[in-house]
Amino acid sequence: MKRRDFFTSSALLGASIPLGVTPLVSSCSSNGNKSKNKESYTPEQLGMPSFAEQAPDGKPLKAGLIGCGSRGTGAAVQFLNAGNDLSIVALADVFEDRQQKCREILLKEKNNKVEDSMCFLGFDAYKKVLDLDVDLVLIATPTHFHPDQFKAAVAAGKHIFMEKPAGVDPVGIRTVLVAARQAVDMGLTVVTGNQRRNQLDYWQAFMQVKNGAIGNVLSATAHWNQGAWWNKLKRPEWSDMEYNIRNWFNIKWLSGDHLLDQGVHNIDVATWFTGWLPEKAVGYGGRARRMTGDIFDFFSVDYRYANNKRMMATARQIDGCDTNVSESIMGTEAVFYTGRKKMWIENFEGEILWQYDYETNPVVGGHQQEHVHLVESIRLNQKVNQAEDIALSTLVSIMGREAAYTGREITWDEIMASDLRYGPTEYALGPLPDYEEGVAPIPGRDPKAPL
Amino acid sequence: MPITSLFLGAGLVIGVNKGVQATSTSAYCQSCHVHTGADEAWLKSPHFSNESGVRVGCAECHLPPHGSFRHFRTKVQTGLHDLYAYHFKDPESFDWESKQQLEYAVTIVFNESCEKCHQNLFPLGLTEEGGKAHLYYEANAKELELHCINCHLDAGHELPNYKHQKMTGIPVSDESPKEVYLEPTTVTRFENFTEHIPKTSVSFNMKAIEGGTFQMGSTDNEPLRDPDEGPVRTVKVSPFFMGEVEVTWNEYWTFYSQTMSEGRLDPETVYANNASNVDAISGPTPPFGNPDQGWGSGNRPAITMSHYAARTYCQWLSRVTGKTYRLPTEAEWEYACRAGTQTPYYFEGDPKRFSSEGLRNRLFGVDTVNISSHTVYRINSGLKTHEPSNTRPNLFGLRNMSGNVFEYCSDLYATDAYAQTESNITDPKGPGSGSEHVIRGGSYISEAADLRSASRAFTETEAWLKTDCQQPKSIWWYSDMKGIGFRVVCEPAI
Repeated sequence: MKRRDFFTSSALLGASIPLGVTPLVSSCSSNGNKSKNKESYTPEQLGMPSFAEQAPDGKPLKAGLIGCGSRGTGAAVQFLNAGNDLSIVALADVFEDRQQKCREILLKEKNNKVEDSMCFLGFDAYKKVLDLDVDLVLIATPTHFHPDQFKAAVAAGKHIFMEKPAGVDPVGIRTVLVAARQAVDMGLTVVTGNQRRNQLDYWQAFMQVKNGAIGNVLSATAHWNQGAWWNKLKRPEWSDMEYNIRNWFNIKWLSGDHLLDQGVHNIDVATWFTGWLPEKAVGYGGRARRMTGDIFDFFSVDYRYANNKRMMATARQIDGCDTNVSESIMGTEAVFYTGRKKMWIENFEGEILWQYDYETNPVVGGHQQEHVHLVESIRLNQKVNQAEDIALSTLVSIMGREAAYTGREITWDEIMASDLRYGPTEYALGPLPDYEEGVAPIPGRDPKAPL
Repeated sequence: MPITSLFLGAGLVIGVNKGVQATSTSAYCQSCHVHTGADEAWLKSPHFSNESGVRVGCAECHLPPHGSFRHFRTKVQTGLHDLYAYHFKDPESFDWESKQQLEYAVTIVFNESCEKCHQNLFPLGLTEEGGKAHLYYEANAKELELHCINCHLDAGHELPNYKHQKMTGIPVSDESPKEVYLEPTTVTRFENFTEHIPKTSVSFNMKAIEGGTFQMGSTDNEPLRDPDEGPVRTVKVSPFFMGEVEVTWNEYWTFYSQTMSEGRLDPETVYANNASNVDAISGPTPPFGNPDQGWGSGNRPAITMSHYAARTYCQWLSRVTGKTYRLPTEAEWEYACRAGTQTPYYFEGDPKRFSSEGLRNRLFGVDTVNISSHTVYRINSGLKTHEPSNTRPNLFGLRNMSGNVFEYCSDLYATDAYAQTESNITDPKGPGSGSEHVIRGGSYISEAADLRSASRAFTETEAWLKTDCQQPKSIWWYSDMKGIGFRVVCEPAI
C-alpha cells in the first residue's frame, strides 16, 4: 500500500494522526548555539504576532474605555490608530474632569465623538459600559480595580485590553487567573499592556534565546531604576478616596507599589524568556525620598528557582541616582542584554554574537503595536489571550514586594494561596480610616517591642 | 483482499464496541447491582440532574475513560468480579455504607474520568474559594495524588450529612433539657470520678490509674511487630487519671463553642497568645466541611483535630475545671492500654490469626471473635468510628485503647526513642527533638497488627493537610486524616 493510501484508509477507520507541533531540533540539545543558523523553532511555533503596521479591515469594532486618565486616554488613541472602523463609544471614570478631558482629546485628535448619554461616572460606571452593545473594553483604571473589572468583562463576553499589572494582591491575581481560563473557554481576545511582548526587537531576541543563542539559561536580571515619578499633593477639597485615586500610583492599595507598576515590565520579560516561575524570594526595600503616598521608593529582590536558577530584580524611583531600565538573561554560552534602544547577545570572551538592527528594522512602540494585535486577533478570530501571563508575572512581583515589606522569605505556594488583600471592600468618595499618608511598611520587629 | 480484511476487522471492532457500550449503560449496571440505596442516592446527586442537562451514568465514573486500554481492562476485571459476587455472594452481606467512604470510593472512582468531562475547572460563576481550591488542585494534583472526590465525595451519590463548605454555627447533638453543672467536680481522693464541665451539661468519666512498673515495647518474638517497638524497657509510671473513652464530640464542641476564633489570626500570634496563658484561649477556627464526616457526633470520638488543637483543648479544660489536664505521655498511654498485661493485646489472641494479611487467613478466614468485641477496626467498623459504649473495656476500665481512633501522645516521635534512654526509667517523656508526635492504638481502619498494645505510629502533618489549599494551612483541623482523636489524662493534685 502506498503511504498516501494508507493515510486515507486509516482515516476511514477513524484513526487519527497527531497534529502536535514538534520542533525541528530539540531545544535542549547542548550544542544549540552551534546550530544557530538553522532556527529550530519557527516564529509560528512560538506564537509570534504579525507586527503588521495596521490591523486588517473587518467588522467595525465599538469599544468602551474604563478609566479615562492619561494612560486610558493614550490607550484609546492608540486603539483608534490601530486600523479602520474603530470607535470609542462609551467612557467610564470616577472623576468628571478626567472624563471630559479624555472626551475632548478623542474628539480633537481622532474626531471620535462620545455622546453625553455614553459617559458614565462612579465606581460602578464600568458595569454600565459592560451592559452596552460594545465589542470590547479597554481597562486602564488603577491596578486595584483590574481583577473585578476584568472578571466582569469576561462574564459579559467582551474582548479585552487590560493595562498591566493584573492586580495588587494574591486575591486579585487568582480572580484574574480564573477569569482568564473562562476567557479562553469563551474564545475571547485578551491583550495586556506589558508592551514588551508586542515589540519586534524583544520578539527577535526571544527567537534567538529560544533557539539556543545563549545556551542553556541559568539566570536573569530585571531592573527599573529611574528618578522620582509623578505625585499629587492632597487638596483640602478632596476626600481621602479622591486623593488616593488621583495620586493612585503612590498608594499601596491602588498601585501595589512600583515593583509592580514599573518593575513588572522587566520581571515579565525574564519570566517570558526563561519560562520559569520562582520557588521563593527574599526581598529588601524601603522609603527614602518619596514625597507622598505610602509606598517604597527602592526594592531589591533575590528570586530562587528550581535547580539553582536565579533572578535579581531591582526597582528604584529616586532622583540623583543612576538609572537603569533593562533585562538580561544569562546562559551557559552567552548573555542577552537589553538597554536603551540597544539589544544584543555577548559571549564570555566579549564577542558580540547578535544585535538588533534598529535602523533597518525600526520598532513601533509596544503601546501602539499591542492595539494592532488586539484588533487583528478579534477580526481574524485568533483568540490571543495574554491574561494568564501577566497575572503570573504580577504575582512574581507581588511575591518580591511582600518579601521586602516583611523581611521574610516568601514561597510561591504561600503567595499563590495567600488571602492577602489590599484596600477597602466598598468604594465611595469619602474617608478612608485605614489609610495612613506617609506610612510605608517596615520589615521585622521593633527592637523595643516585648518578645 | 486487504480491503476485505479491513472491513472484517472493522466489523469486529464495531460489534465488540456495541457489546461494550450495551454493558456500560446505567440500566445494565443496575440490573445486577442490587444496591437500591446507591441507585437512589445517584438519583438525588448532581450527576443525575443539573443545570447543564448532562446525565452521568455508572460507567462514566466507575470505569477509566472510554476508549482507553485501562477502560477495557478495568471493565473486564470488574465485570468478572461482579459476576462472581452476583452468583456466589449474599447481597445482604454487603456493607454499602462503607463503600461510600473516601477510602473505598477512591478505588472505584477514576479521576481521569472526572477530568475527561470536567475539562474546564473554572466555569463562570465559580466562587472565589472554588477558584483558589481549583488552582491549588491544578498545581498539586499530580504530586499529592489529589482526587476530585477528596473534596466532591457526593458528586455521584447524595450523602445527606456531607458538606462542601465552611462549617457555620456550633453543632448541638442533643437538645433535650439536662442538668447544668455549676461547678467542676471536686476530687479529694485518688479514685474514679466524673468530671463536670461548668455551665454545661457535659460530663465524662475519669479512671484512677495506680502507678506501677511494666515492660514497655515488644520483644523480637512478638508476631507482626515493628523494630521501633524496641528495645523493651522497664518503665515506672506515677499515678494518673485517664479518660475512660476518647474525647467525644459533646466535649469537643463545648470547647469549640467557648474558644472558637472566627478571625484569621496568623499561627504565630495564636501560639504566642495561648502560650502566655493570660488572655482568653484562642481556639479552633471553623472547619471546612463536616468534621464528624456525617457519621454523627454526640458520644462518638471527636476526630480530625490537630495535635495543637488537642493540646489547646487540654489547656482550656484545665482552666475551666481548675485541674491539670494534658495529653498522656507515650509511656502512660501504653501502661494504661496494657492494664497489667504483657501480651500483644490487652485481650487474648494471636496477631497472626487476627490479621487480614497473609495467605492462610485470606484462604481460611480471619479470627475475629475476641478482637471484635474489644476494638473497632478494619473488619468490623464499616470504615467509620463507633460510639464507645458497645466496646468492652480493658482491665483498668478504659474503652477503645485499641482501635476506633488513633490517640495523640505528648511525646515527639523517633524510631529509636526507646534506645535513647536507660533501660530502667521513670516517667519518660520522649525524645527532646523531632517534628512529628506519637499516635497510638490504631483506628477504625487499622489492620490487627497495628492494634497491638506496643504498636507505634506518628503524625504526618504534610500528608494530613494535602487538600488544605489555605496558606498558612490550618493549625486546627486536618483535611485528610479522619481516624485521629485523643484521650485526656489528669494529674492528681498533690
